[in-house]
Amino acid sequence: MSQISRRQAMAILGALGFGATAAACAGPGGSTAPGGATGPAAPATGNVTGRVSFAHWRGEDKAVFDELIKRFAAMHDGVEVAQDISTSNDYNAQGLQKVRGAAIGDAFATFRGAQFKNFTEAGIYTELKNSKAVSNYQEGLLSAGKSGESQLGLPYQVVFPMPMANVDLFDKAGADLAPKDWDAFLGMCEKLASSGVVPISWPGGDVGNGGQLFNCMVANNAPVDDMCAQIEQGKLKCTDDWFIKMLNQYKQLVPYLQPNATGTAVEPAQNLFSQGKAAMLATGSYHIAAVRGLGATFPIELVFPNTSDGNGKYEGAYNATFILGVNAASKNQAAAAAWIDFLSEPENAGYYANQTAQHVSVKDVEYTNPDLKRLSPWLDKKTALAARFQFQNLDVRNAVEASATAVISGTSPEQAAEAAQKIVDERL
Amino acid sequence: MLASITRRGILAIYAVIIIVPLTVVGFGSFKSTQELFAGPFTLPQSPSPANYAEVIGGQDLGSSFWNSVIVTAVSVPLTLFLASLAGYAVSRLKGFISWAIFGFLVLGMAIPAQANMVPLYVLFGRLGLLDNLTGLILANVVSTLPIAVFILGGFMRTLPRELYEASSIDGTGPWRTYVSIALPLSAPSIAAAAIFLFVIHWNELLYPLLFIQSPGNRTLPLALLSFQGEFQTNYPLLFAGVILASLPVVVAYIFLQRYFVAGITAGASKG
Amino acid sequence: MSIHPGTASERRAPDTYTETGAKKRRRSPTRVNPALYLFPLPAVAIIAFFLVMPTLQAFQYAITDWNGFSAAFNYVGLDNFIRAFTKDSLFTNALTNNLKFVLLVVIAQTAFSLILALLLTKNSRGSILLRALFFFPTILSSVSVAFIWKFIYDPNFGLANAALGTVGLDALQGSYLGNNAQALYWVAVTQVWFHAGQMMVVYIAGLQSIPRELYEAAEMDGAGKWQQFKSITWPFVAPATSIVVAYTTVQSFKAFDLILGIAGNPPKSSLDILSTRIYSTFANSEFGYAAAQSIIFMAMIALVTWLQRRLLRLTPKGE
Repeated sequence: MSQISRRQAMAILGALGFGATAAACAGPGGSTAPGGATGPAAPATGNVTGRVSFAHWRGEDKAVFDELIKRFAAMHDGVEVAQDISTSNDYNAQGLQKVRGAAIGDAFATFRGAQFKNFTEAGIYTELKNSKAVSNYQEGLLSAGKSGESQLGLPYQVVFPMPMANVDLFDKAGADLAPKDWDAFLGMCEKLASSGVVPISWPGGDVGNGGQLFNCMVANNAPVDDMCAQIEQGKLKCTDDWFIKMLNQYKQLVPYLQPNATGTAVEPAQNLFSQGKAAMLATGSYHIAAVRGLGATFPIELVFPNTSDGNGKYEGAYNATFILGVNAASKNQAAAAAWIDFLSEPENAGYYANQTAQHVSVKDVEYTNPDLKRLSPWLDKKTALAARFQFQNLDVRNAVEASATAVISGTSPEQAAEAAQKIVDERL
Repeated sequence: MLASITRRGILAIYAVIIIVPLTVVGFGSFKSTQELFAGPFTLPQSPSPANYAEVIGGQDLGSSFWNSVIVTAVSVPLTLFLASLAGYAVSRLKGFISWAIFGFLVLGMAIPAQANMVPLYVLFGRLGLLDNLTGLILANVVSTLPIAVFILGGFMRTLPRELYEASSIDGTGPWRTYVSIALPLSAPSIAAAAIFLFVIHWNELLYPLLFIQSPGNRTLPLALLSFQGEFQTNYPLLFAGVILASLPVVVAYIFLQRYFVAGITAGASKG
Repeated sequence: MSIHPGTASERRAPDTYTETGAKKRRRSPTRVNPALYLFPLPAVAIIAFFLVMPTLQAFQYAITDWNGFSAAFNYVGLDNFIRAFTKDSLFTNALTNNLKFVLLVVIAQTAFSLILALLLTKNSRGSILLRALFFFPTILSSVSVAFIWKFIYDPNFGLANAALGTVGLDALQGSYLGNNAQALYWVAVTQVWFHAGQMMVVYIAGLQSIPRELYEAAEMDGAGKWQQFKSITWPFVAPATSIVVAYTTVQSFKAFDLILGIAGNPPKSSLDILSTRIYSTFANSEFGYAAAQSIIFMAMIALVTWLQRRLLRLTPKGE
């Protein structure tokens, strides 16, 4: 060792440097997506055994899934399902990177819209058209998991991204739970306000939850149903009259929101509602369990902020999401597919629904949870598919939704619309 | 007199601004959400360890804790070892090569982690270093090696050269000199660097966020960030998590305070 | 429990020692053992492979439109850079926010840590205790600090508004992070709370190295406190100031963890800074564009650091 001369040592150093260069300079590209021209294949079949990683973002459902996993494992010898849960923001941002390659997520869920599309393009889904599970779903709710002819994913949950109402407070104020038009909605807010409560608790400090109101506001204002997709493609603009009109309606809500609404996080917004200080919580039905957990005992209804002048097309908004799929790169597709089949059976879907207080898109489910029972009529109403999930670019979605927040914090609707449109234009 | 009052006033106010939030976090971690919101400053009515139980049991904080311990316990000594080897060589070598090696290693301090995260992510993917602790350890070592070389190399150059020369005359090889002379004499500098690295590695967030996929491989800061559920910001739960995640560093701070201040300040001054 | 700023390792200025070392080295005829060349090899290899290479590769990525998962991509020349500066207001917004944030924090943190240091220079028991307290936030993780301050700033149930309400200053209550015009300032306050104690210690070390006789002489000349500060203290702490400014700059450029923890992921545009924007672009599967943004980020840090060096060179040094 001590025989090495200085020149030799330098040569080693140099060689090492070049070696590293050569090895690391493989450059971009290189990782090919499976699938390709022939279209995605169905999951492999085989013995239902071994370890399945189930990747999703619903931390609050962990215990319920754990119970379902126990039941699933009881049916199949040697199978083990592990939940790999990320936060929703993180999952939204990095889900693709995490699940691709199947280090986690033999079975997984995606958000509707952008994430589903990215997963599809990256070839992560397998074809579930002929799976046992698919026949258990309500036909009309499957579209969110379709790509062309293929049924790649199964949208599991049905949620209503509409304000929840404290029925007791509405009764006390004599306010109408089902306003037919915008004036009636404002009149209702006025009644609630004069009864001494905050009409609407809105978590404007939280992009994901605060943005749900957008689904309701846009539904009857937009000229078409795929307005967000068209905004993203440049066919519609945030500076269009209908959009400005919507922003003006947001502005009219300001006196009925809690003070400093744009800085309010979710939990405080929920607390205002569960403590009976606010009559509505403008997030969605998916918060029922959380609100009950915070001690709310009053009956809960949903209210649709109907922006129309009485002849609007829709009476509410819904979303089919949590799109289940089997990973094309998974080494244990048989067991992953069996797990998805298992979740899609009415009995198990029913258990999930009743425990988490969320509706599911599986057919023939019996809702025993009192909140779900009360809200079940909404499943048959004329509801608009939540529009914000049409956005495929997160920057665009954030910009468009931020225009509403900007208006609530005092920016003029025209200015807010222009600022949003600028960002959309840059991404056309 | 007036100056003295102003001085006391400023110090008292700032002390309050530091103590009160920390106290609220401490109290809050034993409260329910309703109780915290009803009165953030009050003592918990019936202190309940429920939040701690949930954090440790329900949210896999236990495994995150061990992951953090493993990552920190390996990456700090490893960084110190590699940096001290390099620092020692640089202090003994002469002329251009010494400067070239030192300069090359220290240059990395100018590269922020976000600058190369995309290629590093791809490279780690190809080497199978994503979603495991080895990758995190390596990333920690890479990101802090430059500053560690700077601190240790800078110190070792100040050691009297006669000590080394005496031992070379005895015919001992450089390894022996490194182990028996350079390392012990550099102990204060190594201790300072160790604490600096400990705090950085323990609190590191970017690399776990980028590389870790399975919850079972999360480190504490990432686990803490994940406490914000999809629809929830449960403050009492977060506070319990904050306290558990900070505990080792706080305990170390109480007992090793002067090394902490020296180490972190050395890191800052040299960085 | 005591804080003694300036232990051996930091009070020694390595540069001055190196010079004497170098002189001795030249006099010394002993031959260097060649095995010594192997010692830095592991460090050099790791840095070359995992730091220098990826950084160089960032330049290669930056001229492509690679999306991170497909095999195909195109070389697009400088398009990504042109897009960042001329066609992406989210990026220019993040850049503006970041520069504003750096400027705010550098000024506020430098001034405040110097004030604290001046008030706590003497090694009295009270001072030592307070130093330990003020230093404390530094050791917490950014995520922890972010959560604490998120609760402080909560407009409905948070500490700041509750405290203002208690002392009857309801008029000053606000929505803090919810106010887009102010949000960045409130995060800057958090950043200062987080790190002022650390910078204070750097200043105390500097202040304690000033010979007392200088002040005594100045007092005999009838110089007031302000005069003394201007002509003795400020020039003497100039080296400390340049350390504080340089470190604070890099630290606030990289406030990634704090912003993600306090504003969520992705942060809203009024709180978006370069590092969070790069991460969002990366998460949006635009790897090529994210790499281009990274390079701009790196260049910005270098530019601001260089500018500061130039500016600080204009101030007289005391030593």
